Order: sequence, then C-alpha cells, then structure tokens
Amino acid sequence: MNKVPEKVLTKNFDVDHLFKIDVYMKKGGYKTLNKVLKKLKPDDVLKEVKAAHLRGRGGAGFPAGVKWGFVPKDVDKPKYLCVNADEGEPGTFKDRYIMSHNPHMLLEGIIITGYCVGIHTAFIYIRGEYENIAQRLEKAVSEAEDKGFLGKNILKTGFDLNVFVHRGAGAYICGEETALLESLEGKRGNPRLKPPFPAAIGLFQSPTVINNVETLSNIPHIMEKGADWFVKQGLPEDGGTRIFGVSGQVKKPGIYELPVGTSLKELIYTHAGGMESGKKLKAVIPGGMSSPILKPDEIDIPMDCESLMKADSMLGSGAVIVIDEDVPIIDVLRKITQFYSHESCGQCTPCRIGNSWIHKIVNRIYKGKGKKGDLDNIEKLANNMLGRTLCPLGDAAAMPILGIVKKFRKELESEIKG
Amino acid sequence: MSPEVTKSTLKRIKELISRYPKKQAAILPVIHLIQSEKGFISDEEEKLVAELLGIRPVKVREVVTFYSMLSQKPLGKYHIQVCSNLTCSIMGAEKLIDYLSEKLGIKPGETTDDGRFTLTTVECLGACEQAPNMMVNTDYYGHLDKEKIDKILKELDE
Amino acid sequence: MIEIFINDRPIQVEEGTTVLKAAEKAGIHIPHICYHEAFPPEGSCRMCLVEIEGHLCLELACATQVKEGMKIYTDTKDVIEARKGVLEFLLAEHPMDCPICDKAGQCKLQDYYEEYGLFESSFQEEKERKDKKVDIGKGLILDRERCILCTRCVRFLRDITKTNDLGVFQRGVHSEIGVYDGQVIDNNYAGNLVELCPVGAITDKDFRFKTRNWFLEKGASVCPLCSRGCQIFIEYHPGFARFEVPKRVYRITSRVTSRDEKAKERGYWICDIGRYGYSYMDKDRTEIMTHRTEDLSGDKEKALKHIDEQIKQLIYRKKIQRMGVILNTWLTNEELFLAKKVFTQDLKLKKVFFPEPAQGEEDDLLLTADRTPNKKGAEEIGFQFDQVSEEELFEDTELLIVFWSSPFDLGTITELIPEIKKVKTKILFTPFKRKWNDDFELVIPTAISAEKAGSFTNCDGRVQHFGPVLSPPGEALALWEWLISMGKEIDVDFKSYVKMRSSFDVFKTMKDEIKFFRTKRD
Repeated sequence: MNKVPEKVLTKNFDVDHLFKIDVYMKKGGYKTLNKVLKKLKPDDVLKEVKAAHLRGRGGAGFPAGVKWGFVPKDVDKPKYLCVNADEGEPGTFKDRYIMSHNPHMLLEGIIITGYCVGIHTAFIYIRGEYENIAQRLEKAVSEAEDKGFLGKNILKTGFDLNVFVHRGAGAYICGEETALLESLEGKRGNPRLKPPFPAAIGLFQSPTVINNVETLSNIPHIMEKGADWFVKQGLPEDGGTRIFGVSGQVKKPGIYELPVGTSLKELIYTHAGGMESGKKLKAVIPGGMSSPILKPDEIDIPMDCESLMKADSMLGSGAVIVIDEDVPIIDVLRKITQFYSHESCGQCTPCRIGNSWIHKIVNRIYKGKGKKGDLDNIEKLANNMLGRTLCPLGDAAAMPILGIVKKFRKELESEIKG
Repeated sequence: MSPEVTKSTLKRIKELISRYPKKQAAILPVIHLIQSEKGFISDEEEKLVAELLGIRPVKVREVVTFYSMLSQKPLGKYHIQVCSNLTCSIMGAEKLIDYLSEKLGIKPGETTDDGRFTLTTVECLGACEQAPNMMVNTDYYGHLDKEKIDKILKELDE
Repeated sequence: MIEIFINDRPIQVEEGTTVLKAAEKAGIHIPHICYHEAFPPEGSCRMCLVEIEGHLCLELACATQVKEGMKIYTDTKDVIEARKGVLEFLLAEHPMDCPICDKAGQCKLQDYYEEYGLFESSFQEEKERKDKKVDIGKGLILDRERCILCTRCVRFLRDITKTNDLGVFQRGVHSEIGVYDGQVIDNNYAGNLVELCPVGAITDKDFRFKTRNWFLEKGASVCPLCSRGCQIFIEYHPGFARFEVPKRVYRITSRVTSRDEKAKERGYWICDIGRYGYSYMDKDRTEIMTHRTEDLSGDKEKALKHIDEQIKQLIYRKKIQRMGVILNTWLTNEELFLAKKVFTQDLKLKKVFFPEPAQGEEDDLLLTADRTPNKKGAEEIGFQFDQVSEEELFEDTELLIVFWSSPFDLGTITELIPEIKKVKTKILFTPFKRKWNDDFELVIPTAISAEKAGSFTNCDGRVQHFGPVLSPPGEALALWEWLISMGKEIDVDFKSYVKMRSSFDVFKTMKDEIKFFRTKRD
C-alpha cells in the first residue's frame, strides 16, 4: 500500500455528538440520499454497488451487489431488509462503534439499499446486550422520521421505508442469517435449510436481504464517490476499507480502519502498537474466533478474503486476537470449545453433540486427565462436523479446533503427558 | 391476565405488536419489556404473552429457555455478567470471576441472599478492546481489575 | 421424467423428486431418521447425507431435488464415514437402555448401527443426565435421555393434529422435548407418537414392559371400530411352548408403510380408539354352543338341524312371516350378502331389521361418527335400514334369529332386549358373552373380524379385504360358514351355496350380482 489510507467509515468518529442528526447533516449527512432518491434509478444503485466489489463485512464475505441481484423483481409479496447487528463473533466489536458513533450513516445506507431493492420495511436485529446502543438507534430513527428521511414519501419522492429496531436476547447463532429470520419471526433461533435462500423466501416467507452493519454503512460512501473510487481504496475484487478490530495482548487494542489487503503484521505492530509488555507472539486469530489460528511465521499476510482463504484461514469479521507466549494453548482451545458448545442451537446432530463431546475432552485435558488418543479423537470428531452440519456454525467450530490441534500438537501432547 | 402488568405496559406491548405483520414476531420485544419490569419471566408472564400473541404457552417457553438473556428465575437487582470468552480470559477474566465470587459470597449462577446481586459468566460481549469486561444489567464496564470492580460495586450500593 | 444416476445406475424419475425417494424407487435404502413422508424435510439428523458429483459437500438426500443427469453416490467412503459419524454422535449421548427399552428390536439406532456402524465406542466422558419418565399425556412416557431430538413428535402435533402440545426447550446439548406445565397431550392421535419416535424416547403405558417386539407376530387387518376402516396390524403373541402368556393381542399398529403407494394416500395414522381399543378381542368371548335344554357337545350339525326345524315348522304352517332376523353393520360384505340370500331371497322374509348403528363423536381427521365398519357395505348390498320398524319386527313374531357382532353395548340392541325376551323361540349368533345371552335358547359363538376372512366397505366406498389373523376361540366359526350351511340346510337354492366354499368365493358371486363390487375400489 503506497497510498495514505483514507478514513471512510470512521472519518468523523471524533466529532462530538455525531449521532445527532443535526451534527450528522452538518458534516454532509443525507446529501447522498437526496441525490440517489431524486436523480438515480434503483438499477443505477445496483450497478454501482456491484462494480464496487463490496464484500459482506459480517464474516461470510459474500458480494453485496450480487446478493441484492438475487431478489426477484416482480413478486406479489412485500420485501424486507434485515440489518445484522448481532455482532456475536468473539473478538468483534466494530459494529458497536459504528452504531454508537454514527448511527445515521447506517440509516442512510439502509434507506439507499431499500430504495435499490424495493424494500419498504427494514428491521435492525441488534444483539440484546447492546441495549443502550439500541436506544440510540431508536432515537436516530425517530430523528430521521422527523426530518422526512424515513416513513412515508421520503423527501417527497414517493418512496416509503420504515425502520424498526429489534433486540435479540443472547444467542450467537442468531447472527447466522436464517437463524436471525427465525428469531425475528418470534421463534427459537434455529437455522433453516438452504435452498430456498432468503433472497427468494426469507422473512415471513417473503424475499429478504440480510446485510451486516458495516456493509450497509459503506453504501452512502459508494454512492457519493463512486464504485471506482471505492475499489481503489482496497483491492480490485475486494474494494474499500475495513474496520479491523484488534484485541488481546497488544499495546493499543481498538478499531483500525485500513484498506482491504493491509498486512496483518502491519496491523498488529504498526497500528496496534505491537506486543504488550514486550512478550513474544505465540498465535494470532485473524478474523474472529471462527477463523483458524495463525502462527507467528504466518502473519505476513494481506488481510483480504482470498489471501486468508488460501492460507486455510478466514478474514471473517476482521477481528484480530493477539495471543502471547504465556498463554497455554489449552486455555485457548478450551475457550473455543466452551463457546461453541454453549452457543450451538442443538438442532442438528454433529454440532449439538460434537461440540459438547469435544469440549468434555478438552476440559478433561485441561484438568490434567488427558489420555493418549484424545487429540486424534478430537480431530476425528471435528472432521465429522466439518461440512456435515445444517449451518456454518459446525464449520466455524471445527475449523479453529482442527487448526489448533494441528499447529500446536506438540504443546497439547505435553499437556496430556505432563 | 397478571394483575402485575400495568395498563401502560400493556399499551406499550400492543404498540410493539403492531410493528410486525405477524403477532408472534413481537415475542422478544414483549418479553424484554416484561423482564425489564418484573426482573424475570414466570409462568404467569408466559401465559400472558401467549394470550397476547395468540400462541400456546409452550411456544413462549421454547423462546424463554433458548435465549441466554432471558430468565425464568428471579434475578438480583444487579445482574453482574462477566465475560469468560477468549480475549477477556487471556486478559485475566477468570481471576476476576473468582474475586467477585469471593466478594459477593456466591458462585456463578447464584444470587445473593439479599437479592441484590446475581453473578453469571457470559460469552463475548463485543467489547474485546476493553477486556476484561463485565455487564451490570446492560451497562458495560471494561478494563477491569480488582480495584475497578471494588469501585463499581461501591457505586452500585449508593 | 428425467434420467439420473444412482451409484452409476441410470434411473428414470419425475422431476422434483427428492434423492431419497428416487433411491427408494430404485430399491436403494438411504438411512434417515428425522425425515418422515408426512412432513416437509427437516434436515437435522444428518443421517441421509450422500455424495453428488459436482457438489463440494455431501448433500441431504431427503431435501435435495434431482436434476437431469445428476450423479448420486450412496456408498462411497465419504458417505459411509459420514453415516458412521452421525451414528457415533447419537450413540455417544444415548443411554445404554436396550435391555429395558420397549423399542428394542424396532429401534432405528439399533438397526442402523447393525448395518452401518459396528464400531467401538470412543466416548469416555460423562453422558448428559436428563429426566427419564416424563408424563406427557394419554399414557405416553417421555425419556429425555433416549431422545435424539429428531422432532418428529413436535412436528406431528404441529402439522397433523395442529395442537402444538410439544416444544423444544433449552439449547445445544441440553435441548429437551416437553409439554407446558399442566397442558399435556390430549387428542385422539397421541398413540401415533410411539410409532413415529425412531427410538424408545416415547413409549406408552399400554405396552410398557409387557413383552418384546421380536416375540410378536404381525397380521394385516382392518380396524372395525368405526366406518373409516383404517388398515392395521394386529400384533399378537403366538404363545410359548412351556407357559401361558396373559393375552393374545398386545398392540395395534398402523399398516401404512412407505412402500404402499395407495395406502399412503389415506394417511399414515390410526386413531387412539382403534389403537387402544383391542381388549374386546380377548375378553368375555363365547366359546361353546349352548342350548337351553339339549347338550349340543359342539355338534354343528345338531345345531343346524335345530334351527332348520324351527324354520321348517313355520314354513309348514304357512306362517314363515312370523320369523324375524336382526342383522348389524359389523358383519362383513360376504356375510351380509349371504344373509340377504338366505333370509330375504330364499325365505322371502320381510322382517329383516337393523338396529341403529352405534354413534359417537367424530373428529376432523379419521374417526367417523358411525362406529360400525360396514354400513356402506350393507347399503350397497341392497339393505334398507328403515324397511322394517321395531313394532313390525316384533308383531306376531314366533322365531327370531339375532346376529350381534359388536363388542360395545352401544346402539339399540340393549333397548330391544325386553321385546326380544317375549319372542317364543330365539337364537343368537355372537362372539361375546353378555348377560342377555341367557335369554336365548341357542347361543352360537362366532368369530370377530380379526379371526376370519372377509371385507368391509368403508365410509368412502373402499372395499378392503382381510384374512384371519387370530384363531377363533373354542367352537367359534366365522358367520359366513354358518350362513352357507344354513342356506344348504334350508334347501331352497342348494346348488348356489355348493360352489361357495370360502369367503372369497362368496365375494366372487357378489361381484357377478352387484355392480358396485365389480369396480376396483381399494
């Protein structure tokens, strides 16, 4: 990257009371919405977003424009937009910043998206723990309604859109798109079989678009400055910037908005200040707990979807967890298996029983009662989950477990022997 | 209908239900409202919610028992939820959980006899840059250490 | 029709068929647990995963629709490993209850382990402990440790009875099935849950600990407890060589299987009244011919001669119209046809009477208000129920033959007893010992539908044939045998009875004479 990274999403985060609509508008907010609704057609927006190569920022990295394109045009059913603000992936906290600092940016993105796809009702599914932020969002919705940016006949263009804030209640699985739909419909958060896909049959059996908070927050910027500009901020097939979150044993944990493709090493050492207390690096989780772990010799890697996939890991939510040499790897493994066994919805056999079984073995090893063959068994069980479950949570558990057992085998074996 | 649910709460509930094309979709907002007022969801509330949404009580219980934030048992005035996930653990959460346990005289999952504090461990709260974290009701406290915890508990007492 | 390949074999199937059904059509069984044809695919057990060429992951056979040219493999190394994997997961948290579990011998986990498993257990942890004897209503007991969360029971109560009694509580490995406090299952189809449950998680008190599945024989029959005529299996114990078993019939189950396309159209269920109402088969049965004064000693000829004497006396006195007959709609098509032949045609009797058929409440699934199995059959054979009134039946009647085949004291037979007592000579053909049997000079034991060959015509006009499953007790015989003998003895039209040597011969004659029975209606 030989260009000075431009802050896009976090540009005005240091402005006081940016969450108030008057401040947001003073900083140029809602001007793009005005332009889009009055001068552009929905298809123009779709073309631009497709050309921007905006990949989903929630974890799956699916191109947003392509997803919107799957929604059937002429259907006699209302269409819905669900904003995925569940942010449950351990290590991830970026959406919290967006929603508390600049909720109107998100709203502006929602409204433009609604206009593009023909959606008149949007739900922001926000995790239950973010109650204070949900209240801030509700206030922002109210302010936007008062100014005519939401509700009926927005900016007198005839376009209607209502936004409702809907709080979850503590279930990581509800971040999975079809489980989110089930939860929104008032049921247990059990993921659905796909096909059919939500774009065709989603919320209340109607076509539905589900996008992450950060993904939608990019929309006003893409429509303001154009797809070409957006692509130039990142990589040709993976445009824009990303808000990386760095946590763990670094000097400066926090959010860092940087171009897609920034090196992980640079992120940790240049931006996040490097290791805390001068300790040595042991391992890095690059994209939230579901992404397989990287060893110190693997962190010279660009943070983009393709590069991490090639390294048998995942960009995921861009949440970097830094682990130093003093953390026993069995602790890391135990926290991972604890999380997935607790969060499994319980619907399908491999995830429900596999996660719990692996956690029982890991716990036993942690308590000093590990046996020969335990590690092989963990690998077998995790492989019996991989690709066999109803939803991606099975893979999200199996891959990091397999990664740790493979890359830290020696340390785990010594845990069992000694 | 439970006499403990006030008229104004009922009005709010009806307003929440009106936001959704199907009544059942309002179940989480309605339960959140009731739990915020009553502190937990008892049989009475389950039946009330069922009646308001036109579903059987068994469907309400399915939801109440699925989500970690919903409780069928009374919670203390201050529900202290300490994150025990990866980053917070690396940053020392386990020791803080033990410390709180000792200080309050209860184990995780229990409530103090005077009904003021419930202590639970939870998964990632989404504030890892401030690890270790805890949530008291829905207020976040980060960068915790023993001193900070003492201070927070003292402030709650006032 | 499109062409697909299963294990490299080309197969023709309809578009839109699932891989599972297509494989079944080709005679290949893909193991599955949560899938049931009555409900849309659930996809949660993961047992039916198969390999499809061009797909990165294994796919669900129950939920994937075939496409032209699709290549499916059901026995590759990956597929076999996947099945073993699912089995191992299920068995890991499953209690070792086989020695005390009613489902043993019919359990999917046992069957699939035997066929696709046969591995050593590698589970060395503590199993989850849950409640093992939860009362969920109507005599059903839920064992939560055995439950593998296939949710068939939940979906049955959601989609079929639409009562939504069961729910799934908690999350992850702590998930459990249950009812709401005090709102147990209370509908007429609860017994189907025992059959639906692939393991022994739901059992019923009626069968609990009584016997083992492998001791029971299964006989195909038709339920006679209402006019729907559901197809059933009568599961009975053939007895041990060295000691008695307390009863013959242990269970009634639904006869609809996935291989019977026609039967599937009628649904997969039977109601609880049919399922649990079998005690009449083995209780208070008549076993020997009894005459008030003579000792018949099981001599059928003697009994026939006695009946014939009474009839011939009236014929000689030119007073045959003083004879009456009471029939009922529990009789088979063949028996009703023979009765018409003997009494209406041969003897030209006018007093052929049907009491009001037993009525009960109907529901909107299977159970009809008419609680007799063959009213439609009687109608098609040409009987008119109001042709003779009660007064006409008993006016100047000197000889009355009563055929009473219902185990229930429903209907007007009990109301007729006072009038019946006044008739000079009365003869009773019945399978059941009742207190009014003593009022009759001659009581002849007959077989119930489970013990004879015959057919019923159900309320929808379906003619359903069945054969004998159990042996009639003592001297009891099927009524059609008696009627043929009577027809011969009365000797008005001896020749036509000679060629009827079985119930099926009778049906063949029926087909010749009555158009309704010529059309294929099953």
